[in-house]
Amino acid sequence: MSEPFSAEDLARRRTASRRLGWAIGAAVFALYLIGFLFKR
Amino acid sequence: MSYATTHPAGHHDEHHPSGLLRWLTTTNHKDIGTMYLTFSLIMFFVGGLMILAVRAELFQPGLQLMRPEFFNQLIGVHALVMIFAALMPAATGFANWMLPLMIGAPDMALPRLNNWGFWLLPPAAILLTLPFTLALFGIGDGAIATGWTFYAPLSVQGGMGVDFAILAVHILGISSIMGSINVIVTIFNMRAPGMTLMKMPLFAWGWLITAFLLIATLPVLAGAVTMLLTDRHFGTHFFDAAGGGDPILFQHLFWFFGHPEVYILLLPVWGLMPHVLSTFSRKPTYGYKAQVYSFIAIGVLSLIVWAHHFFTAGMPVPALIYFMFSTMAISLPLAVLFFCWIATMWKGAMTFETPMLFAVGFIVLFGIAGLTGLVLADVAADAQYHHSYFVVAHFHYALFAGGIMGVMTGVYYWLPKWTGHMYNETLGKWHFWLTVVSFNLTFIPQFFLGLAGMPRRIPDYALQFAEFNAISTVGAFILGISQLLFAWNIWSCIRGGPKAEARVWEGAEGLEWELDSPPPHHSWETQPVIK
Repeated sequence: MSEPFSAEDLARRRTASRRLGWAIGAAVFALYLIGFLFKR
Repeated sequence: MSYATTHPAGHHDEHHPSGLLRWLTTTNHKDIGTMYLTFSLIMFFVGGLMILAVRAELFQPGLQLMRPEFFNQLIGVHALVMIFAALMPAATGFANWMLPLMIGAPDMALPRLNNWGFWLLPPAAILLTLPFTLALFGIGDGAIATGWTFYAPLSVQGGMGVDFAILAVHILGISSIMGSINVIVTIFNMRAPGMTLMKMPLFAWGWLITAFLLIATLPVLAGAVTMLLTDRHFGTHFFDAAGGGDPILFQHLFWFFGHPEVYILLLPVWGLMPHVLSTFSRKPTYGYKAQVYSFIAIGVLSLIVWAHHFFTAGMPVPALIYFMFSTMAISLPLAVLFFCWIATMWKGAMTFETPMLFAVGFIVLFGIAGLTGLVLADVAADAQYHHSYFVVAHFHYALFAGGIMGVMTGVYYWLPKWTGHMYNETLGKWHFWLTVVSFNLTFIPQFFLGLAGMPRRIPDYALQFAEFNAISTVGAFILGISQLLFAWNIWSCIRGGPKAEARVWEGAEGLEWELDSPPPHHSWETQPVIK
Protein backbone atom coordinates (compact mmCIF):
# COMPACT_ATOMS: atom_id res chain seq x y z
CA MET A 1 0.00 0.00 0.00
CA SER A 2 1.35 3.43 -0.81
CA GLU A 3 -0.12 6.81 -0.05
CA PRO A 4 0.91 10.43 -0.64
CA PHE A 5 3.14 12.16 1.85
CA SER A 6 0.71 14.34 3.76
CA ALA A 7 1.61 17.96 4.45
CA GLU A 8 1.30 17.31 8.19
CA ASP A 9 3.61 14.31 8.08
CA LEU A 10 6.23 16.19 6.10
CA ALA A 11 5.97 19.20 8.42
CA ARG A 12 6.42 16.93 11.44
CA ARG A 13 9.45 15.24 9.91
CA ARG A 14 11.01 18.58 8.95
CA THR A 15 10.45 20.05 12.41
CA ALA A 16 12.12 17.04 14.01
CA SER A 17 14.96 17.41 11.51
CA ARG A 18 15.44 21.10 12.31
CA ARG A 19 15.58 20.35 16.06
CA LEU A 20 18.14 17.60 15.60
CA GLY A 21 20.07 19.80 13.17
CA TRP A 22 20.35 22.61 15.75
CA ALA A 23 21.41 20.11 18.44
CA ILE A 24 24.19 18.75 16.22
CA GLY A 25 25.21 22.29 15.28
CA ALA A 26 25.46 23.20 18.97
CA ALA A 27 27.64 20.15 19.62
CA VAL A 28 29.91 21.16 16.72
CA PHE A 29 30.27 24.69 18.08
CA ALA A 30 31.05 23.37 21.56
CA LEU A 31 33.76 21.09 20.15
CA TYR A 32 35.21 24.03 18.24
CA LEU A 33 35.38 26.21 21.36
CA ILE A 34 37.21 23.56 23.39
CA GLY A 35 40.39 24.44 21.47
CA PHE A 36 40.48 27.86 23.05
CA LEU A 37 40.60 26.41 26.55
CA PHE A 38 44.18 25.26 26.01
CA LYS A 39 46.35 27.28 28.38
CA ARG A 40 48.82 28.96 26.06
CA MET B 1 14.08 -6.99 0.97
CA SER B 2 10.89 -6.54 -1.03
CA TYR B 3 8.82 -3.50 -1.71
CA ALA B 4 5.13 -2.81 -1.97
CA THR B 5 4.00 -1.49 -5.33
CA THR B 6 5.10 2.06 -5.68
CA HIS B 7 4.07 4.66 -8.18
CA PRO B 8 6.60 7.26 -9.08
CA ALA B 9 5.37 10.76 -8.59
CA GLY B 10 4.59 12.70 -11.74
CA HIS B 11 6.05 16.04 -12.61
CA HIS B 12 4.67 19.02 -10.81
CA ASP B 13 3.22 21.69 -12.95
CA GLU B 14 4.42 24.40 -10.59
CA HIS B 15 6.80 26.99 -11.97
CA HIS B 16 10.53 26.59 -11.42
CA PRO B 17 13.03 29.34 -12.17
CA SER B 18 15.19 28.68 -15.18
CA GLY B 19 18.73 29.53 -16.17
CA LEU B 20 21.24 30.73 -13.60
CA LEU B 21 18.53 31.63 -11.09
CA ARG B 22 17.44 28.00 -10.98
CA TRP B 23 20.89 26.88 -9.91
CA LEU B 24 21.40 29.74 -7.45
CA THR B 25 18.11 29.24 -5.66
CA THR B 26 17.39 25.57 -6.05
CA THR B 27 16.49 23.50 -3.03
CA ASN B 28 15.93 20.34 -5.05
CA HIS B 29 18.24 17.54 -3.94
CA LYS B 30 18.89 16.42 -7.50
CA ASP B 31 19.86 19.90 -8.71
CA ILE B 32 22.14 20.37 -5.72
CA GLY B 33 23.63 16.92 -6.24
CA THR B 34 24.32 17.82 -9.86
CA MET B 35 26.02 21.05 -8.78
CA TYR B 36 28.20 19.23 -6.27
CA LEU B 37 29.24 16.66 -8.86
CA THR B 38 29.93 19.29 -11.53
CA PHE B 39 31.97 21.36 -9.09
CA SER B 40 33.87 18.25 -8.05
CA LEU B 41 34.70 17.33 -11.65
CA ILE B 42 35.96 20.84 -12.40
CA MET B 43 38.13 20.90 -9.29
CA PHE B 44 39.41 17.39 -10.08
CA PHE B 45 40.88 18.81 -13.28
CA VAL B 46 42.19 21.92 -11.49
CA GLY B 47 43.96 19.78 -8.88
CA GLY B 48 45.13 17.41 -11.59
CA LEU B 49 46.72 20.19 -13.65
CA MET B 50 48.62 21.35 -10.57
CA ILE B 51 50.15 17.96 -9.98
CA LEU B 52 50.97 17.48 -13.66
CA ALA B 53 53.09 20.63 -13.39
CA VAL B 54 54.78 19.05 -10.35
CA ARG B 55 55.38 15.79 -12.19
CA ALA B 56 56.76 17.72 -15.18
CA GLU B 57 59.29 19.36 -12.86
CA LEU B 58 60.22 15.95 -11.46
CA PHE B 59 60.62 14.35 -14.88
CA GLN B 60 64.37 14.73 -14.58
CA PRO B 61 66.79 15.92 -11.88
CA GLY B 62 67.60 19.61 -11.65
CA LEU B 63 65.25 22.58 -11.63
CA GLN B 64 63.58 22.97 -15.02
CA LEU B 65 60.27 24.71 -14.83
CA MET B 66 59.65 26.43 -11.51
CA ARG B 67 61.07 27.85 -8.33
CA PRO B 68 61.07 25.50 -5.31
CA GLU B 69 58.63 27.83 -3.49
CA PHE B 70 56.09 27.52 -6.31
CA PHE B 71 56.62 23.75 -6.39
CA ASN B 72 55.75 23.57 -2.67
CA GLN B 73 52.65 25.68 -3.22
CA LEU B 74 51.44 23.45 -6.05
CA ILE B 75 51.80 20.32 -3.91
CA GLY B 76 49.91 21.75 -0.93
CA VAL B 77 47.08 23.26 -2.94
CA HIS B 78 46.80 20.11 -5.10
CA ALA B 79 46.10 18.08 -1.96
CA LEU B 80 43.69 20.59 -0.45
CA VAL B 81 41.80 20.91 -3.75
CA MET B 82 41.61 17.17 -4.34
CA ILE B 83 40.49 16.37 -0.79
CA PHE B 84 38.19 19.26 0.05
CA ALA B 85 37.03 20.42 -3.35
CA ALA B 86 37.00 17.25 -5.46
CA LEU B 87 36.54 14.07 -3.40
CA MET B 88 34.37 15.39 -0.56
CA PRO B 89 31.97 17.29 -2.85
CA ALA B 90 31.71 14.20 -5.08
CA ALA B 91 30.60 12.11 -2.11
CA THR B 92 28.18 14.86 -1.05
CA GLY B 93 26.85 14.98 -4.61
CA PHE B 94 26.18 11.24 -4.45
CA ALA B 95 24.44 11.68 -1.09
CA ASN B 96 22.25 14.47 -2.40
CA TRP B 97 21.29 12.65 -5.54
CA MET B 98 20.83 9.17 -4.16
CA LEU B 99 19.92 9.21 -0.47
CA PRO B 100 16.34 10.50 -0.92
CA LEU B 101 15.82 8.11 -3.83
CA MET B 102 17.21 5.18 -1.85
CA ILE B 103 15.36 5.76 1.41
CA GLY B 104 12.07 6.84 -0.16
CA ALA B 105 12.18 10.49 0.90
CA PRO B 106 10.73 13.33 -1.20
CA ASP B 107 13.88 15.41 -0.68
CA MET B 108 16.64 16.06 1.86
CA ALA B 109 15.20 17.13 5.21
CA LEU B 110 16.69 20.63 5.19
CA PRO B 111 16.69 21.81 1.55
CA ARG B 112 17.67 25.45 2.12
CA LEU B 113 20.60 24.44 4.30
CA ASN B 114 21.51 22.15 1.42
CA ASN B 115 21.61 25.02 -1.06
CA TRP B 116 23.67 27.15 1.32
CA GLY B 117 26.10 24.29 1.96
CA PHE B 118 26.84 24.01 -1.74
CA TRP B 119 27.20 27.71 -2.50
CA LEU B 120 29.88 28.06 0.19
CA LEU B 121 32.14 25.83 -1.89
CA PRO B 122 32.96 28.04 -4.91
CA PRO B 123 34.11 31.03 -2.80
CA ALA B 124 36.26 28.68 -0.71
CA ALA B 125 37.83 27.18 -3.83
CA ILE B 126 38.54 30.67 -5.15
CA LEU B 127 40.16 31.63 -1.82
CA LEU B 128 42.35 28.56 -1.99
CA THR B 129 43.64 29.24 -5.49
CA LEU B 130 43.48 33.08 -5.57
CA PRO B 131 46.99 33.63 -4.10
CA PHE B 132 48.47 32.05 -7.25
CA THR B 133 46.74 34.70 -9.35
CA LEU B 134 47.56 37.53 -6.96
CA ALA B 135 51.24 36.53 -7.03
CA LEU B 136 51.20 36.95 -10.82
CA PHE B 137 50.35 40.61 -10.23
CA GLY B 138 53.05 40.99 -7.60
CA ILE B 139 50.67 40.79 -4.65
CA GLY B 140 51.80 38.45 -1.89
CA ASP B 141 54.12 35.49 -2.21
CA GLY B 142 51.73 32.90 -3.58
CA ALA B 143 49.61 30.14 -2.10
CA ILE B 144 50.14 28.08 1.02
CA ALA B 145 53.50 26.29 0.83
CA THR B 146 53.29 24.06 3.89
CA GLY B 147 51.68 21.05 2.26
CA TRP B 148 48.06 20.31 3.09
CA THR B 149 48.93 19.62 6.74
CA PHE B 150 49.62 23.27 7.75
CA TYR B 151 52.39 22.05 10.08
CA ALA B 152 53.63 24.62 12.60
CA PRO B 153 56.03 26.39 12.91
CA LEU B 154 56.31 26.68 9.09
CA SER B 155 52.67 27.72 8.86
CA VAL B 156 53.10 30.27 11.68
CA GLN B 157 55.89 31.90 9.69
CA GLY B 158 54.44 31.41 6.17
CA GLY B 159 53.14 34.08 3.80
CA MET B 160 49.60 35.29 3.24
CA GLY B 161 48.73 32.13 1.33
CA VAL B 162 48.41 30.46 4.74
CA ASP B 163 45.74 32.99 5.76
CA PHE B 164 43.81 32.36 2.55
CA ALA B 165 44.00 28.61 3.14
CA ILE B 166 42.90 28.96 6.79
CA LEU B 167 39.86 30.96 5.73
CA ALA B 168 39.11 28.54 2.88
CA VAL B 169 39.32 25.54 5.21
CA HIS B 170 36.93 27.20 7.64
CA ILE B 171 34.40 27.77 4.88
CA LEU B 172 34.84 24.29 3.42
CA GLY B 173 34.43 22.88 6.93
CA ILE B 174 31.21 24.81 7.53
CA SER B 175 29.89 23.54 4.21
CA SER B 176 30.74 19.95 5.14
CA ILE B 177 29.16 20.33 8.58
CA MET B 178 25.96 21.58 6.94
CA GLY B 179 26.00 18.65 4.55
CA SER B 180 26.59 16.21 7.41
CA ILE B 181 23.76 17.62 9.52
CA ASN B 182 21.48 17.29 6.53
CA VAL B 183 22.49 13.69 5.89
CA ILE B 184 22.03 12.66 9.52
CA VAL B 185 18.63 14.27 9.98
CA THR B 186 17.45 13.03 6.58
CA ILE B 187 18.38 9.46 7.40
CA PHE B 188 16.86 9.65 10.87
CA ASN B 189 13.64 11.44 9.96
CA MET B 190 12.82 10.95 6.30
CA ARG B 191 12.99 7.21 5.70
CA ALA B 192 10.01 5.50 4.10
CA PRO B 193 7.67 3.57 6.40
CA GLY B 194 9.08 0.13 7.09
CA MET B 195 12.68 1.04 6.30
CA THR B 196 14.34 0.35 9.62
CA LEU B 197 17.99 1.23 10.06
CA MET B 198 18.96 -2.39 9.44
CA LYS B 199 17.01 -2.44 6.18
CA MET B 200 18.65 0.74 4.98
CA PRO B 201 20.89 0.58 1.88
CA LEU B 202 24.57 0.20 2.73
CA PHE B 203 25.33 3.42 0.87
CA ALA B 204 23.18 5.27 3.42
CA TRP B 205 24.99 3.48 6.25
CA GLY B 206 28.38 4.43 4.86
CA TRP B 207 27.29 8.06 4.61
CA LEU B 208 25.75 8.06 8.09
CA ILE B 209 29.07 7.04 9.66
CA THR B 210 30.86 9.57 7.43
CA ALA B 211 28.57 12.35 8.62
CA PHE B 212 29.20 11.54 12.28
CA LEU B 213 32.95 11.47 11.66
CA LEU B 214 32.75 14.90 10.04
CA ILE B 215 30.75 16.24 12.96
CA ALA B 216 33.31 14.88 15.43
CA THR B 217 36.49 15.96 13.66
CA LEU B 218 35.92 19.08 11.57
CA PRO B 219 35.43 21.35 14.61
CA VAL B 220 38.83 20.18 15.86
CA LEU B 221 40.46 21.09 12.55
CA ALA B 222 38.65 24.43 12.55
CA GLY B 223 39.81 25.02 16.13
CA ALA B 224 43.41 24.13 15.23
CA VAL B 225 43.57 26.45 12.21
CA THR B 226 41.87 29.25 14.17
CA MET B 227 44.56 28.86 16.83
CA LEU B 228 47.10 28.99 14.02
CA LEU B 229 45.53 32.21 12.79
CA THR B 230 45.71 33.77 16.26
CA ASP B 231 49.35 32.66 16.53
CA ARG B 232 50.06 34.39 13.24
CA HIS B 233 48.26 37.65 13.87
CA PHE B 234 47.07 38.08 17.45
CA GLY B 235 50.10 37.31 19.59
CA THR B 236 49.13 33.88 20.95
CA HIS B 237 51.66 31.07 21.17
CA PHE B 238 49.69 27.86 20.88
CA PHE B 239 52.18 26.33 18.45
CA ASP B 240 55.15 28.69 18.62
CA ALA B 241 57.94 27.14 20.65
CA ALA B 242 59.65 30.52 21.00
CA GLY B 243 56.69 31.70 23.06
CA GLY B 244 56.28 28.51 25.07
CA GLY B 245 53.96 26.82 22.59
CA ASP B 246 54.16 23.32 21.20
CA PRO B 247 54.34 22.58 17.46
CA ILE B 248 53.59 18.91 18.15
CA LEU B 249 50.23 19.96 19.62
CA PHE B 250 49.29 21.15 16.14
CA GLN B 251 50.16 17.74 14.71
CA HIS B 252 47.91 16.05 17.27
CA LEU B 253 45.01 18.37 16.54
CA PHE B 254 45.47 18.22 12.78
CA TRP B 255 45.65 14.43 12.60
CA PHE B 256 42.74 13.97 14.99
CA PHE B 257 40.88 15.34 11.99
CA GLY B 258 43.25 14.13 9.28
CA HIS B 259 43.09 10.42 9.90
CA PRO B 260 39.30 10.11 10.13
CA GLU B 261 39.28 12.27 7.00
CA VAL B 262 40.69 9.30 5.11
CA TYR B 263 37.65 7.27 6.14
CA ILE B 264 35.38 10.23 5.51
CA LEU B 265 36.57 10.05 1.91
CA LEU B 266 36.33 6.26 1.72
CA LEU B 267 33.20 5.25 3.66
CA PRO B 268 30.71 6.58 1.09
CA VAL B 269 32.59 4.55 -1.53
CA TRP B 270 32.59 1.45 0.68
CA GLY B 271 28.86 1.93 1.06
CA LEU B 272 28.44 2.12 -2.70
CA MET B 273 30.56 -0.94 -3.55
CA PRO B 274 28.12 -3.62 -2.28
CA HIS B 275 25.37 -2.17 -4.48
CA VAL B 276 27.53 -2.32 -7.60
CA LEU B 277 29.00 -5.76 -6.85
CA SER B 278 25.58 -7.18 -6.05
CA THR B 279 24.06 -5.71 -9.22
CA PHE B 280 26.67 -7.05 -11.61
CA SER B 281 27.01 -10.39 -9.82
CA ARG B 282 23.21 -10.75 -9.81
CA LYS B 283 23.32 -11.89 -6.20
CA PRO B 284 22.19 -10.32 -2.94
CA THR B 285 24.83 -8.49 -0.93
CA TYR B 286 26.78 -10.90 1.24
CA GLY B 287 27.07 -10.06 4.94
CA TYR B 288 24.89 -6.96 5.22
CA LYS B 289 25.08 -6.82 9.01
CA ALA B 290 28.79 -7.60 9.05
CA GLN B 291 29.37 -4.66 6.73
CA VAL B 292 27.27 -2.30 8.87
CA TYR B 293 29.16 -3.30 12.01
CA SER B 294 32.46 -2.97 10.16
CA PHE B 295 31.56 0.58 9.09
CA ILE B 296 30.80 1.44 12.72
CA ALA B 297 33.98 -0.24 13.99
CA ILE B 298 36.13 1.53 11.40
CA GLY B 299 34.46 4.85 12.23
CA VAL B 300 35.18 4.45 15.96
CA LEU B 301 38.74 3.14 15.46
CA SER B 302 39.57 5.94 13.04
CA LEU B 303 39.11 8.42 15.88
CA ILE B 304 41.75 6.86 18.12
CA VAL B 305 44.73 6.17 15.85
CA TRP B 306 45.79 9.63 14.69
CA ALA B 307 49.36 9.70 16.04
CA HIS B 308 50.61 7.03 13.60
CA HIS B 309 51.03 9.92 11.16
CA PHE B 310 53.89 11.34 13.22
CA PHE B 311 55.58 8.42 14.98
CA THR B 312 58.91 10.04 14.12
CA ALA B 313 58.05 13.30 15.92
CA GLY B 314 58.79 11.46 19.15
CA MET B 315 56.45 10.14 21.80
CA PRO B 316 56.67 7.73 24.76
CA VAL B 317 57.11 4.07 23.86
CA PRO B 318 53.73 3.01 25.35
CA ALA B 319 52.07 5.61 23.13
CA LEU B 320 53.94 4.32 20.08
CA ILE B 321 52.85 0.77 20.83
CA TYR B 322 49.25 1.81 21.46
CA PHE B 323 48.99 3.77 18.22
CA MET B 324 50.67 0.97 16.26
CA PHE B 325 48.32 -1.75 17.46
CA SER B 326 45.17 0.37 17.31
CA THR B 327 46.06 1.29 13.73
CA MET B 328 46.63 -2.34 12.80
CA ALA B 329 43.31 -3.22 14.43
CA ILE B 330 41.52 -1.28 11.67
CA SER B 331 42.62 -3.97 9.24
CA LEU B 332 40.24 -6.43 10.95
CA PRO B 333 36.91 -4.75 10.09
CA LEU B 334 38.42 -3.70 6.78
CA ALA B 335 39.23 -7.33 6.02
CA VAL B 336 35.61 -8.18 6.84
CA LEU B 337 34.53 -5.68 4.19
CA PHE B 338 36.93 -7.15 1.62
CA PHE B 339 35.69 -10.67 2.32
CA CYS B 340 32.05 -9.54 2.03
CA TRP B 341 32.77 -7.84 -1.29
CA ILE B 342 34.50 -10.93 -2.64
CA ALA B 343 31.82 -13.26 -1.26
CA THR B 344 29.16 -11.13 -2.97
CA MET B 345 30.82 -11.87 -6.31
CA TRP B 346 31.49 -15.54 -5.48
CA LYS B 347 29.65 -17.83 -7.91
CA GLY B 348 27.64 -14.89 -9.18
CA ALA B 349 26.55 -14.44 -12.80
CA MET B 350 29.07 -11.67 -13.24
CA THR B 351 29.27 -9.28 -16.14
CA PHE B 352 31.84 -6.54 -16.49
CA GLU B 353 30.21 -3.32 -17.51
CA THR B 354 32.24 -0.20 -16.72
CA PRO B 355 30.97 0.27 -13.13
CA MET B 356 31.84 -3.34 -12.32
CA LEU B 357 35.29 -2.98 -13.89
CA PHE B 358 35.95 0.06 -11.70
CA ALA B 359 34.57 -1.77 -8.63
CA VAL B 360 36.85 -4.79 -9.14
CA GLY B 361 39.78 -2.48 -9.95
CA PHE B 362 38.99 -0.62 -6.74
CA ILE B 363 39.12 -3.83 -4.68
CA VAL B 364 42.47 -4.93 -6.09
CA LEU B 365 44.21 -1.55 -5.94
CA PHE B 366 42.69 -0.47 -2.65
CA GLY B 367 43.96 -3.78 -1.26
CA ILE B 368 47.48 -2.55 -2.04
CA ALA B 369 46.73 0.63 -0.07
CA GLY B 370 45.64 -1.51 2.89
CA LEU B 371 48.71 -3.74 2.81
CA THR B 372 51.19 -0.88 2.47
CA GLY B 373 49.28 0.91 5.24
CA LEU B 374 50.05 -2.00 7.54
CA VAL B 375 53.73 -1.56 6.74
CA LEU B 376 53.53 2.13 7.64
CA ALA B 377 51.62 1.37 10.84
CA ASP B 378 54.65 -0.54 12.11
CA VAL B 379 56.63 1.87 14.28
CA ALA B 380 60.03 0.43 13.46
CA ALA B 381 59.41 0.25 9.71
CA ASP B 382 57.79 3.68 9.65
CA ALA B 383 61.04 5.26 10.85
CA GLN B 384 62.47 4.20 7.48
CA TYR B 385 59.50 5.10 5.28
CA HIS B 386 58.25 8.26 6.96
CA HIS B 387 58.17 11.34 4.70
CA SER B 388 59.34 9.28 1.74
CA TYR B 389 57.75 8.60 -1.62
CA PHE B 390 56.56 5.27 -0.20
CA VAL B 391 54.00 7.27 1.78
CA VAL B 392 53.00 9.25 -1.32
CA ALA B 393 52.40 6.03 -3.26
CA HIS B 394 50.50 4.48 -0.34
CA PHE B 395 48.02 7.28 0.11
CA HIS B 396 47.44 7.62 -3.61
CA TYR B 397 46.48 3.94 -3.69
CA ALA B 398 44.07 4.80 -0.86
CA LEU B 399 42.70 8.06 -2.18
CA PHE B 400 42.94 7.71 -5.95
CA ALA B 401 42.34 3.97 -6.33
CA GLY B 402 40.10 3.86 -3.26
CA GLY B 403 38.48 7.28 -3.40
CA ILE B 404 38.47 8.62 -6.94
CA MET B 405 38.06 5.27 -8.68
CA GLY B 406 35.25 4.60 -6.22
CA VAL B 407 33.62 7.86 -7.26
CA MET B 408 34.05 6.88 -10.92
CA THR B 409 32.34 3.57 -10.11
CA GLY B 410 29.40 5.51 -8.72
CA VAL B 411 29.27 7.94 -11.61
CA TYR B 412 29.12 5.16 -14.22
CA TYR B 413 26.64 3.18 -12.10
CA TRP B 414 24.20 6.03 -11.55
CA LEU B 415 24.80 8.27 -14.58
CA PRO B 416 22.03 6.59 -16.63
CA LYS B 417 19.66 7.05 -13.68
CA TRP B 418 20.56 10.74 -13.42
CA THR B 419 20.49 11.62 -17.11
CA GLY B 420 18.03 9.10 -18.55
CA HIS B 421 20.63 8.09 -21.14
CA MET B 422 23.18 5.30 -21.34
CA TYR B 423 26.80 6.37 -21.52
CA ASN B 424 29.20 5.05 -24.16
CA GLU B 425 30.27 1.65 -22.80
CA THR B 426 33.29 1.28 -25.12
CA LEU B 427 34.59 4.68 -24.06
CA GLY B 428 33.99 3.76 -20.42
CA LYS B 429 36.07 0.60 -20.76
CA TRP B 430 38.87 2.51 -22.48
CA HIS B 431 38.74 4.99 -19.63
CA PHE B 432 38.99 2.19 -17.07
CA TRP B 433 41.93 0.39 -18.64
CA LEU B 434 43.89 3.53 -19.38
CA THR B 435 43.28 4.75 -15.83
CA VAL B 436 44.34 1.50 -14.16
CA VAL B 437 47.46 1.00 -16.27
CA SER B 438 48.64 4.60 -16.06
CA PHE B 439 47.81 4.84 -12.35
CA ASN B 440 50.08 1.89 -11.63
CA LEU B 441 52.71 3.26 -13.99
CA THR B 442 52.64 6.46 -11.95
CA PHE B 443 52.66 5.08 -8.44
CA ILE B 444 54.42 1.68 -8.40
CA PRO B 445 57.74 3.43 -9.17
CA GLN B 446 57.06 5.74 -6.23
CA PHE B 447 57.09 2.77 -3.84
CA PHE B 448 60.58 1.94 -5.05
CA LEU B 449 61.65 5.58 -4.88
CA GLY B 450 60.50 5.71 -1.26
CA LEU B 451 62.22 2.46 -0.38
CA ALA B 452 65.40 3.83 -1.95
CA GLY B 453 65.15 6.91 0.25
CA MET B 454 63.68 9.69 -1.90
CA PRO B 455 61.94 12.18 0.39
CA ARG B 456 58.59 13.68 -0.60
CA ARG B 457 57.95 17.38 -1.27
CA ILE B 458 61.27 18.16 -2.96
CA PRO B 459 61.60 19.74 -6.44
CA ASP B 460 65.00 18.20 -7.15
CA TYR B 461 66.60 14.86 -6.36
CA ALA B 462 69.74 12.77 -6.63
CA LEU B 463 70.63 11.11 -9.92
CA GLN B 464 69.88 7.57 -8.78
CA PHE B 465 66.16 8.41 -8.64
CA ALA B 466 65.97 9.65 -12.25
CA GLU B 467 64.58 6.58 -14.07
CA PHE B 468 61.70 5.87 -11.71
CA ASN B 469 60.76 9.56 -11.67
CA ALA B 470 60.70 9.68 -15.45
CA ILE B 471 58.43 6.60 -15.60
CA SER B 472 56.18 8.08 -12.94
CA THR B 473 55.81 11.35 -14.86
CA VAL B 474 54.94 9.56 -18.10
CA GLY B 475 52.31 7.56 -16.20
CA ALA B 476 50.90 10.72 -14.60
CA PHE B 477 50.44 12.44 -17.96
CA ILE B 478 48.69 9.40 -19.47
CA LEU B 479 46.53 9.24 -16.34
CA GLY B 480 45.65 12.92 -16.61
CA ILE B 481 44.88 12.81 -20.32
CA SER B 482 42.74 9.66 -19.98
CA GLN B 483 40.45 11.53 -17.62
CA LEU B 484 39.35 13.60 -20.61
CA LEU B 485 37.57 10.45 -21.82
CA PHE B 486 35.66 10.44 -18.52
CA ALA B 487 34.61 14.07 -18.90
CA TRP B 488 33.65 13.53 -22.55
CA ASN B 489 31.63 10.42 -21.72
CA ILE B 490 29.68 12.28 -19.02
CA TRP B 491 29.09 15.26 -21.29
CA SER B 492 27.87 13.16 -24.21
CA CYS B 493 25.65 11.12 -21.87
CA ILE B 494 24.02 14.31 -20.59
CA ARG B 495 23.50 15.47 -24.18
CA GLY B 496 21.86 12.25 -25.36
CA GLY B 497 22.28 8.56 -26.02
CA PRO B 498 20.19 5.41 -25.84
CA LYS B 499 17.27 5.74 -23.43
CA ALA B 500 17.87 4.30 -19.97
CA GLU B 501 15.11 2.32 -18.32
CA ALA B 502 13.99 2.84 -14.72
CA ARG B 503 15.88 -0.27 -13.65
CA VAL B 504 19.02 0.55 -15.58
CA TRP B 505 20.91 -2.63 -14.70
CA GLU B 506 19.45 -6.12 -14.87
CA GLY B 507 20.51 -7.12 -11.35
CA ALA B 508 19.84 -3.79 -9.62
CA GLU B 509 17.76 -3.89 -6.45
CA GLY B 510 16.54 -0.98 -4.36
CA LEU B 511 14.01 1.82 -4.25
CA GLU B 512 16.06 4.11 -6.48
CA TRP B 513 15.46 1.80 -9.44
CA GLU B 514 11.66 2.02 -9.04
CA LEU B 515 11.67 5.63 -10.22
CA ASP B 516 11.97 6.69 -13.85
CA SER B 517 15.35 7.54 -15.36
CA PRO B 518 15.77 10.46 -14.91
CA PRO B 519 13.60 10.65 -11.79
CA PRO B 520 10.79 13.22 -11.69
CA HIS B 521 11.51 16.67 -10.24
CA HIS B 522 9.90 15.66 -6.94
CA SER B 523 11.30 12.26 -6.13
CA TRP B 524 8.70 10.46 -4.04
CA GLU B 525 5.27 12.00 -3.73
CA THR B 526 3.72 8.68 -2.80
CA GLN B 527 5.39 6.94 0.08
CA PRO B 528 7.02 3.67 -0.83
CA VAL B 529 6.38 1.08 1.86
CA ILE B 530 9.09 -1.41 2.65
CA LYS B 531 7.86 -4.90 3.48
